[in-house]
Amino acid sequence: MVRYVAQRLLFSIPVFLGVVTIVFFVVRVIPGDPATAALGDYASKEAVEALRQRMGLEAPLPVQYLRFLGDLLRGDLGVSLITGASIREQITHALPYTLELTVVAILIGSVLGIPIGVHTAIRRNRLADYVGRVLSLTGLSVPAFYLGILLILLLAIRFQWLPAVGGGGRDDLAETARHLVLPALTLGLVMTASVARLTRSAMLNVLGQDYVRTARAKGLREAVVRLRHALRSALIPIVSITGIWAVSLVGDSVTVEVVFARPGLGKMMVGAILQRDYTALQSIMVVYTAFVVAINLATDLIYGWVDPRIRH
Amino acid sequence: MTGKLVLAILLTAAGLALAPTPGRAAGILRFGQNAADIGSLDPHFATGTQDRSLVDMVFNGLVRYKPGDGSVFEPDLAPSLPAPKTEGGKQTWTFQLRKGVQCHAADGVPAYELTSEDVVYSLQKSADKNRSAYAADYTGMTVEAPDAQTVKITLDKPLSPVLFFPKVANYSGGFIVCKRAAEKLGAAGLKTRPVGTGPFMFKSYSPQERVQLVANPAYFRGKPQLDGIDFRYMPDLSSRELALRNGQLEVINGAPDKAWVDKMKGVAAVKVDVFGVGEVAVLNLRTTAPPLDKVEVRKAIAHALDREEFQALFGRGIAENVYSPVPARFLPGGLTREELAPKGLDYPTDREKAKKLLAQAGFPNGFPLEMNTSEMTSYRVLYESMQAQLAKVGIHVNVRMVDHSTMHSLIRKDANPLVIYIAWRPNADVYLTQFFHSDSIVVTGKKPNTNFAHYDKIDDLIERARVETDAAKQVALWKQAQLRILEDMVAYPIQYQNQVYARSAAVDYGHDLVSVLALYPGITEKTRLLK
Repeated sequence: MVRYVAQRLLFSIPVFLGVVTIVFFVVRVIPGDPATAALGDYASKEAVEALRQRMGLEAPLPVQYLRFLGDLLRGDLGVSLITGASIREQITHALPYTLELTVVAILIGSVLGIPIGVHTAIRRNRLADYVGRVLSLTGLSVPAFYLGILLILLLAIRFQWLPAVGGGGRDDLAETARHLVLPALTLGLVMTASVARLTRSAMLNVLGQDYVRTARAKGLREAVVRLRHALRSALIPIVSITGIWAVSLVGDSVTVEVVFARPGLGKMMVGAILQRDYTALQSIMVVYTAFVVAINLATDLIYGWVDPRIRH
Repeated sequence: MTGKLVLAILLTAAGLALAPTPGRAAGILRFGQNAADIGSLDPHFATGTQDRSLVDMVFNGLVRYKPGDGSVFEPDLAPSLPAPKTEGGKQTWTFQLRKGVQCHAADGVPAYELTSEDVVYSLQKSADKNRSAYAADYTGMTVEAPDAQTVKITLDKPLSPVLFFPKVANYSGGFIVCKRAAEKLGAAGLKTRPVGTGPFMFKSYSPQERVQLVANPAYFRGKPQLDGIDFRYMPDLSSRELALRNGQLEVINGAPDKAWVDKMKGVAAVKVDVFGVGEVAVLNLRTTAPPLDKVEVRKAIAHALDREEFQALFGRGIAENVYSPVPARFLPGGLTREELAPKGLDYPTDREKAKKLLAQAGFPNGFPLEMNTSEMTSYRVLYESMQAQLAKVGIHVNVRMVDHSTMHSLIRKDANPLVIYIAWRPNADVYLTQFFHSDSIVVTGKKPNTNFAHYDKIDDLIERARVETDAAKQVALWKQAQLRILEDMVAYPIQYQNQVYARSAAVDYGHDLVSVLALYPGITEKTRLLK
């Protein structure tokens, strides 16, 4: 297992480096000029040129790239081109909001999705199955930002139970939790739909296998057959796909953070794009890359743990 | 057992989540701004609406635009508006400063009384291109401090009050920064730490999230009625709207769209404000780009367009028709429809006439044009409407959509033969100089700016008006210049677009809203939250 973990970790390094290189150049391909974006259309050409000089945008791209890699290796994420604020501090402030959101959403998606999938598989072609399938198809079809707005209208505006926007103060646990409920529920429900569908089809595959029939023939209780024998096997594709969904959840978290004005990495990234803040944008993308690489690594490791054959 | 534990955790979490919101500090006004973050809170680099509105609350000018009405100047740091004098052949303006005006305390710099030294420092900063985005507006100006309470400004060329006061008013380069804090903080520090003399003082900045201001108890007009401002950056309109409805915000940027305005007017305890100043949308026609080099073609385009169709895109009230590049509704020197119609220079829609003019110019079947628009709704819909209207006379426009800053780069490289530009400028001189003086011609001008038409026929009128100190004569020269622009049809004024904000009915701004240069409702020491 240790060798397997080391192998996966080593594979992650070139992936990470490749992605950050692509990010560096793609960020600069985005049309628009940060100096113009910062000064607006009223500023004179001289003022814009003076600002470009101060921003260090006149250096050749390869030089900027080498500086970027050097800074990254030292753990220096630089300062915002626009405000001059430390990007490391901004990310440190924003990251917990995004981490909480995705972790709680994954928990909601798994805790709701797997039992619903198992239940609908067992009740195949009965009312519960039809209802589950319709709901999960609906969940897959509704964009996260739209579901978010519907939840705000219902729970924040109609019933006034929860705040509509914001992240809550970090020093007040109750406020943080209250501000987390709606965005996490939004992402969690979207994930629940896909996890439920996948669990259902994986369970249906497994429930028809010979070893399940054998387990039943041995006289084991139905719950034991379903959970210990069927679900354990079905978990392999579920873990794999849940990993992929967790990655797409990171993408969905961007729109959800914007809709809920949640001060996480997603909102920060959209702001950096709007302001053409290259240094902030590339640093945020580096963090996202690390995030995705870590999720993929975790998926590989869990996969190896659930199915020992994969380690070999 | 496990099930009970999970249930207990879920119930605890639900209880925590649904607990009542702790009360916020009384008198804090929460403002949802249509922006992702600040650009710069150094007032001399504050060019975006989100920054202009914030610095407006923190800084003062020597004079100020009357709150809610940008057409009137009032005393601010100077207790009265001076008259100009001529000394040694040069025009001078001497300001006395109010006594007892306090600069806010900043990191390591205690509060202190503002003196002429601060004003001189500030205006010199405004004139320095490395320390200000507005340096070009301050060339030919010398600032001195004869004593601690007096500031003397000498101009190389005389200016009328209409053109001089904006340079020292509470807008753009006219904001007065406090020297000690500015020197201590440096250029980088000033971006995120504004220190002025205004009714509100900086408290904190959380990137991409909020700026918090607190009331300045020592403000020279008296302690503000609000305890502070919580300025939130929320680029998504639906988020701002939902937060206003939910009671999490008191004021938001709205959408310049009548449907949205009507919808919000129907929401209980919400009020919608539509007010100026209106940013003017003008179609600039490049006179050097065939076939637009023929005046018949340019006039054909003008007659093919219909202002009512453009107005319908946003709705009456949100957008209003305009007939000269300088908007007569807000600025001296603008021309009204009544002044232009007898000469036919209002260019009423007449597509048959447009076709005849095209035939006269040798284009009976029209011609194609290529251009770029911004993805921003206010630009995109105008270009799309123009495309549909010009197609009716055989001019087929192919519009490519690019992001906003790319459009600004492209149009400054002559990529568009027709340029729709939406802008507010503080007076007729700036409008005419930037858009129609030959020095400002894009690509080839001495100081390329926004003369997209490549027009060079009214330099003399602009320059004469600039130094004309008789207000009536100055206005007459500006009008004459615009008559020439319209006769040559180098610019077709389309409309001005008003500002749209929504607020809780509990918010009383403390003034009527007619026009605000900072493009937000204006928050002063008199703004309050009603019980």
